[in-house]
Amino acid sequence: MSDAATLFMMRRRVLFGFAAKLLGFTLLGILIFIWLGPVLLVVMTSIKSNDAFLAGPFALPTQPTFQPYITVWNALGFGPLMANSFLYATAGSALAVALALVPAFGLSRLEIPGKKLIFGVILTGLMLPQQTVLIPLYDTLRSLNLLDTKLGLIIVHAAYGMPAQILMLRGFMTAIPREIEKAAYLEGASDFEVFWKVILPLSVPGILVGFTLNFIAIWKEFVFGLVLLNSEANFPVTVGMLKLNSDRYMSVFNLPAAGLVISQIPIVILFLLTYRKISGGNFAGAVKG
Amino acid sequence: MAEVSLQKVVKRYGHHVVVPHLDLTIADGEFTVLVGPSGCGKSTTLQMIAGLEAISEGTLLIGGRDVTVLPPKERDIAMVFQSYALFPHMTVRDNINFGLRIRRTPAAEMARQVAEVAERLKIDSYLDRLPKALSGGQRQRVALARALVRRPGVFLMDEPLSNLDAKLRVEARSFLSKMHQELGITTVYVTHDQSEAMTMGSRIVVMKEGVIQQAAPPLDVYRKPANRFVAGFIGSPSMNFLEMGIENGQLVDPAVGFRITVPENRRAELGRTKAGRVVLGVRPEHLHLLPRDTAAIDALTFKIDVCQHLGDEMLLDVAAGPHRVIARAHAEDDARVGEGRAFRVDMDRVHFFALDSERNLAFA
Repeated sequence: MSDAATLFMMRRRVLFGFAAKLLGFTLLGILIFIWLGPVLLVVMTSIKSNDAFLAGPFALPTQPTFQPYITVWNALGFGPLMANSFLYATAGSALAVALALVPAFGLSRLEIPGKKLIFGVILTGLMLPQQTVLIPLYDTLRSLNLLDTKLGLIIVHAAYGMPAQILMLRGFMTAIPREIEKAAYLEGASDFEVFWKVILPLSVPGILVGFTLNFIAIWKEFVFGLVLLNSEANFPVTVGMLKLNSDRYMSVFNLPAAGLVISQIPIVILFLLTYRKISGGNFAGAVKG
Repeated sequence: MAEVSLQKVVKRYGHHVVVPHLDLTIADGEFTVLVGPSGCGKSTTLQMIAGLEAISEGTLLIGGRDVTVLPPKERDIAMVFQSYALFPHMTVRDNINFGLRIRRTPAAEMARQVAEVAERLKIDSYLDRLPKALSGGQRQRVALARALVRRPGVFLMDEPLSNLDAKLRVEARSFLSKMHQELGITTVYVTHDQSEAMTMGSRIVVMKEGVIQQAAPPLDVYRKPANRFVAGFIGSPSMNFLEMGIENGQLVDPAVGFRITVPENRRAELGRTKAGRVVLGVRPEHLHLLPRDTAAIDALTFKIDVCQHLGDEMLLDVAAGPHRVIARAHAEDDARVGEGRAFRVDMDRVHFFALDSERNLAFA
C-alpha cells in the first residue's frame, strides 16, 4: 500500500474512533441528565427559600439555606419516622435473609426429594403483586392482633422479602466451588458444619447484597405501611411524609424537597458502605493455582 | 494403614453405566495410580472410595471394614483435590487443622500436629496467611498438609499436580514419592498423565470406559501391555501400530513391500489368531535407523516426513503407504527429510495384537 493510502486509512480510523467516542459520551451525557437531573433539582430546591423557588424553579440557589431542613424535621417529627423506617428495614431485611439462608443452602447444595417443586413454589411468592396479598395480610394481622404494630409490619416485610432472598442466596451458594464443600465433608464435617463453617462465611458477600437490596426495598415501601398501620407513632418515613401532600403544604416546594433528601440519606450511606464488599472477589485462593 | 478392596463395584447414573464391574484390591501401604483418558471412570472410582459418590452395587472394604454406605468421615481417609479446594476464608493454619477442630482435638495436641506437618511440608512460615496470598505450589502443599495432619489410613489424590507448571510438577512428583516412602500410607492416585503414573506408582491400574485394562507394576505395564489400548496409552511417544498379513512366519504388507521374519520363539503367538492378519506394535525406540548403504533385508523402508530434534535424541515421523509411525534416533544420526530409509525392527521386543479383540497375543 502506498504511503498516501496508509495515511488515508489511518486518518479514517482516527476520525471514525473519534466519532464513536463522541456518540458514546453524548449518550452517556443524556443518561446522566435523565437520572441525575431530577435528583439535582430536588437538592437545589431543598436549599432555597420557597420564594426563591417560585421566582425561578430551575435557577441555581443564590442564597443557600438549610432552614427547610430544620423546618421539615421539626414539623413532621422526622426523628421518630426515620427511627421507625430504620427499624423496619433493618429487622425486616435481617429476618428475611436469616430465614432464607437455610432454604437457600438446602436448595443449592443438598439432594432433597421434590427440590424443584419446592423451589418453584417459593418462586411464585416473587410473582404475587403486592395488591393481591394486601387484604389477606390485613385479615391475618388482625386475627393475630398484630395490626398497627411494629412487629406486625416487620414480619410482613420479612415474609415478603424472603423468596427473593432465597433466589439470590441460592444462586450465590451454587457458585461456591463444589470441591470446597467436598473437602469439608472429607475432613469430617456434618451437613450443619459445612453450612456453618464453610458455606455461610463464604456467602457473606451474597448476604450483604441481599440485605442491602432488601433494606432499600423496605425503606422505599409505602403501601404496606399505609394500609397495615394507623398510629402515627408507628409510621415509617414514607407514610409520614404523606402529610407534606396535604393542603397546608400545597404551594410549598422546598419543604417536601428537603424531606425527600433526608429520607434518602440512609440509603446512600448504606450503599457507600457495602458496594465494595458486594463487588469484590469472593473465592480468591480457593481453587486453581 | 489400611488395605482398600473394591468388590464387584458398579456405578450407574440413571441408566448410564459408568463403571460396569470393578474388582480391585490395593494392598496396605501400596501407592496405586489409576490412569486413563478422561471419562474412563478413574475419578468416579476415587470418589466412590472417598464416599463422595454413592456405590450403586458391590462392596467397598477399607482396612477390612465394610464402608460401602458409610459417609466420608467414617472411612479414615483424606483427599487432595486437583483444585486444592482450600477454604478461602481461613488461614493456612485453620485450613490444616479444620479436621482436627471438628474432631475436638485438644488445642496443645492440635498445635503440635500442625507444627509437625507444616515443618515437613515447609509451609511453617506462612501459617497465618490466607490461601489467596500463596503461590500454586504452596497451596498444593497446604492441601497436602490438611490431608496428612490427621494421619489417615488411606490417602486419595485426584490429579493433584495438574495445576502446577512443568518444573514444579517434577519437583512435586519426587516429593510425593519420598513422602510415601517415609510414611507408608496407602495411596490411591488418579491422573491422566501416563508419565506421572510411570514415575510414581508402585502399581498402575489402566482404565478405559470404566473397565480395568491392566493392573501391574509400571515396568510390567510398559513391557507387557495386556492389550492395544494399554500399549498405546503408556509410553511417550506412543507405540506404533501396523496392521500386517501373516505368511509362513513372516509379517507382510505387499502394498508397500514390507516383509519381516518373526523369530521362531514367537511364532506360536501368531498362531493364536485365526484372522490371518495381526497388528504389530513397535515402540519408537525399537525401530532402528539403518545406515544408507545397508541392504533392507528384514527391515521396513519408510519415507522421512519430519525430524524433531530434542537435543540428545531425535524423533522421526516416517510414513509408508497407510502406515505412519514415529521412530527414535540418535541426535547424531544423519537423517534427511524426504529421503526413504530402512529401519530394522527389534523383533524380540515387539508385540502382536489380535485384530478383533485387540488383546496382546502373548497372553491370549
